[in-house]
Amino acid sequence: MTRQIRRLGLALIALFVVMFAQMTNLQVLQANRLAHHPGNTRDAVRDFGSPRGSIFTADGREIARSVPNTDHRSKFAWTREYPARGLYSHISGYFSFTFGSTGLERTYNSLLAGRKVAFTFKRAADLLKDRTVTADLTLTIDDRVQRVAAEALGARRGSVVALDVKSGAVLAMVSFPRFDPNPLAGVDQKAVQAAFKGLSQDPAKPLLARAYRELYPPGSTFKTITTATALSTGTATAATTYPVISELPLPLTNRPLRNFGGKACGGTLAASFTVSCNTSFARLGLDLGAQALHDGAVGFGFTARPPLDVSPGPVASRFPAVDFFTRNTPALAQSAIGQGEVAATPLEMALVAAGIANGGKIPTPHVLKEARERRASGAAQIQGESRSTWITATTPAAAAQVRDFMVDVVANGTGRRAAIAGVTVAAKTGTAQTANNRAHAWTIAFAPAEDPQVAVAVIVEDQPEVSSATGGRVAAPVARAVLQEGLAVRR
Amino acid sequence: MTATAIATAAPTIKRRRAELGLLVLALALTVSAYVLVSLGRTAKIPTNLRPFLGVIAGLLAVAHIATRRFAKHADAGILPIAGLLNGLGYVMIVRLNPTLANRQAAWTAVGIGAYVLTLVVVRKARQLERFRYTFAFVGMGLLLLPLVPGLGYNINGSRIWAHFGPISFQPGELAKLSLAVFFASYLIEKRELLGVAGRRIAGITFPEFRHAGPLLIAWMVSILVMVAESDLGSSLLFFAFFIAMLWVATQRNSYLLVGGVLFVCGSLASWQLFAHVHNRVRIWIDPWPTATKGGYQIVQSLYAFGSGGMTGTGLALGSPTRIPYAATDFIFAAIGEELGLFGTCAVLALFLVLVGTGLRTALRASTLDRPFDALLAVGLTTILALQTFIIVGGVTRIVPLTGVTLPFVSYGGSSLVVNYMLIAVLVRISHDTTTVPDPAAANPRPSD
Repeated sequence: MTRQIRRLGLALIALFVVMFAQMTNLQVLQANRLAHHPGNTRDAVRDFGSPRGSIFTADGREIARSVPNTDHRSKFAWTREYPARGLYSHISGYFSFTFGSTGLERTYNSLLAGRKVAFTFKRAADLLKDRTVTADLTLTIDDRVQRVAAEALGARRGSVVALDVKSGAVLAMVSFPRFDPNPLAGVDQKAVQAAFKGLSQDPAKPLLARAYRELYPPGSTFKTITTATALSTGTATAATTYPVISELPLPLTNRPLRNFGGKACGGTLAASFTVSCNTSFARLGLDLGAQALHDGAVGFGFTARPPLDVSPGPVASRFPAVDFFTRNTPALAQSAIGQGEVAATPLEMALVAAGIANGGKIPTPHVLKEARERRASGAAQIQGESRSTWITATTPAAAAQVRDFMVDVVANGTGRRAAIAGVTVAAKTGTAQTANNRAHAWTIAFAPAEDPQVAVAVIVEDQPEVSSATGGRVAAPVARAVLQEGLAVRR
Repeated sequence: MTATAIATAAPTIKRRRAELGLLVLALALTVSAYVLVSLGRTAKIPTNLRPFLGVIAGLLAVAHIATRRFAKHADAGILPIAGLLNGLGYVMIVRLNPTLANRQAAWTAVGIGAYVLTLVVVRKARQLERFRYTFAFVGMGLLLLPLVPGLGYNINGSRIWAHFGPISFQPGELAKLSLAVFFASYLIEKRELLGVAGRRIAGITFPEFRHAGPLLIAWMVSILVMVAESDLGSSLLFFAFFIAMLWVATQRNSYLLVGGVLFVCGSLASWQLFAHVHNRVRIWIDPWPTATKGGYQIVQSLYAFGSGGMTGTGLALGSPTRIPYAATDFIFAAIGEELGLFGTCAVLALFLVLVGTGLRTALRASTLDRPFDALLAVGLTTILALQTFIIVGGVTRIVPLTGVTLPFVSYGGSSLVVNYMLIAVLVRISHDTTTVPDPAAANPRPSD
């Protein structure tokens, strides 16, 4: 019997060895995966059980904050409030237990929710409670500029993006329609779900951050890229002349490329730019060739996702691959004037303007100015603003030449309505035809031309009664208002 | 003889002193954990700390004095380990569900009472042999009691509860103890017969077929329990500890083989025939596709272990309340989340030491040629070890999940009281097998 008992002992020990091994497996090897598994709600509960840091604009307006929960049905002590309602919905995002979080609430969750700090031992209880210190975020966005942008756009679908030319700091970023994030951060799960359902089924797509997640044909604003590419590659100079024609015959098709309203235009590259002459730039696109135009667009950031610090991040603007054009020359002509398969986000076009303003270097776009820890002993900055170049788009010489062209657009061309008294404004308008004689009205601009400070991109969707002047008539006044305010708050 | 008496008398006193020391340690750990729960929750020392300390110290003192009085030569480790497991379990239950904790406190008092009563009533383990058929009848009866209409009822799909008036309990818990006693005495008596060689097949000597009767009966009863009461855990436990005892008693490996084959056949057949068994196995193999439905429990348990990590979140600082049945079946997961790998391994180590002590007791009884004592100790120890494995393995996905309690730790009155009785019997056997012969007695061996 003794031998049997010993063997039984070995068998039972083996069972314990298996258990010890599995504990190590679960609590060490797989621990991280299990702890942060999407289905494991502990992270979310922790984030919802404590106050988060606030989000402020550059001029000190609080746009997101945690307030004590007054609803007794809730299991959470704190709830999130967005005092500016819809004005910053596509920037702050929302913080919802049911639907997760978006925008800065997501990007900077670890700062807002608090991170572990080196502990200061004062009382024993300190070890057990409040082990995290939350941080407040300050945005690069100025509430005054943001409000002017939203008012100038009004109740029209579209977007406005204003950037600091040198740093890439976003000064204003508006998408319309917008949504109020407050109901999504609510306590009553049923109400939250109903609110989300309503927003997501709305045909106007208020949840869509048009500024960085919607693609539009850039229309004539793309001519800045075509021109810069031609100048930097030597394919054309300011003096290169183009025939004065009303339509350009294209190879492989009997449908020629027409100017707006069948008007004849042409002349030098400079003159063609000022009046936004389609035939000249289509010709220039064909002269450049698929490879050069493609490389030019990619150089300005097309096909790449701009590294803006929001979540989900910007989509990449679209430009066809080189081999798309090999059997489709008309598409190359269309692409050169920003039509056809070319599509860009308003953010991308603002970056194009900033790149030209900044001597060919496109700065890294960002909305976070700084994060400061909230402590009894006073706030301490823990993350500062990042200033860097995202990409180099073109040469300083080409950028300077395009800048001069854009100044003339405001002075003598399609962008007169962007003019500001006492300030030299550079702009390029665009009227991107969609269908049924309707078009998106564009303007990209920056000022002052001699020492660029602020760049802006404006799109107003789906405008009727199209003419070549639509972009300038509809979008340029918005750009003007935003530029003026952007420059004013900097003084 | 005198030399032996002198040599063993001193260790006896040492043992009780060691037990007292270990009990103080268990008390300190329990009270510290209790204070930590309160600190974690409200950052305050619990207001009822003194009464709490007093009650726990009192209960442990009663058990210790009873051991001193009635089983003074017993191993020093058994009672403190049970007390510590009970204490840690109680603290976790306080943290998870204060209402249940009050009841668990009452059950702990009853459990200590049952421990003392068992020591008082069972003065020699061998006395139990006389009542073997009473135990057999009572054990089988208890096992099948929940099936009696009017007495038994279902909770969470398992028909393992019975009630008499306001008192409800799980008779299966007590059945394990009764049947262990019966098996031990029955198998000791029949072991010659059961061990008789039958024919040899493929190099293995099988017992004669007619002696396999009891084995088949045990197998059928366990299948019945599983089918009629949907209690997979008890069924598995019951069959496995019977096979283990049969094997130790007869020393025939063929029983292991036959038992294993029967187990596999029974498992496969029930997997095929019964939807709930099939379901459990499927969830065990891959719980993730049904993480919000059938696999919810086990997945929540795995999350808890992962979130606990190496050191745990600290008592009352995790979220183990989101694990279903956290105070009963899944209490080990709650420990895993708040005390981490260190906590779970400490609990497992306590069980391992308890199992080791039980088997050492069995070995000593075996060496002293007290086969009944030895086999009973083997049975009781195996119950503790297997039950621990079934539930710990279940909540950590080593084996399919079946609901049994983690001995001493889980919430559950029947389980707690019976486990205290179980260790009382172990303590009794331990005492018996280290009994110092009275130097004055004529008979060198104990006369009873």
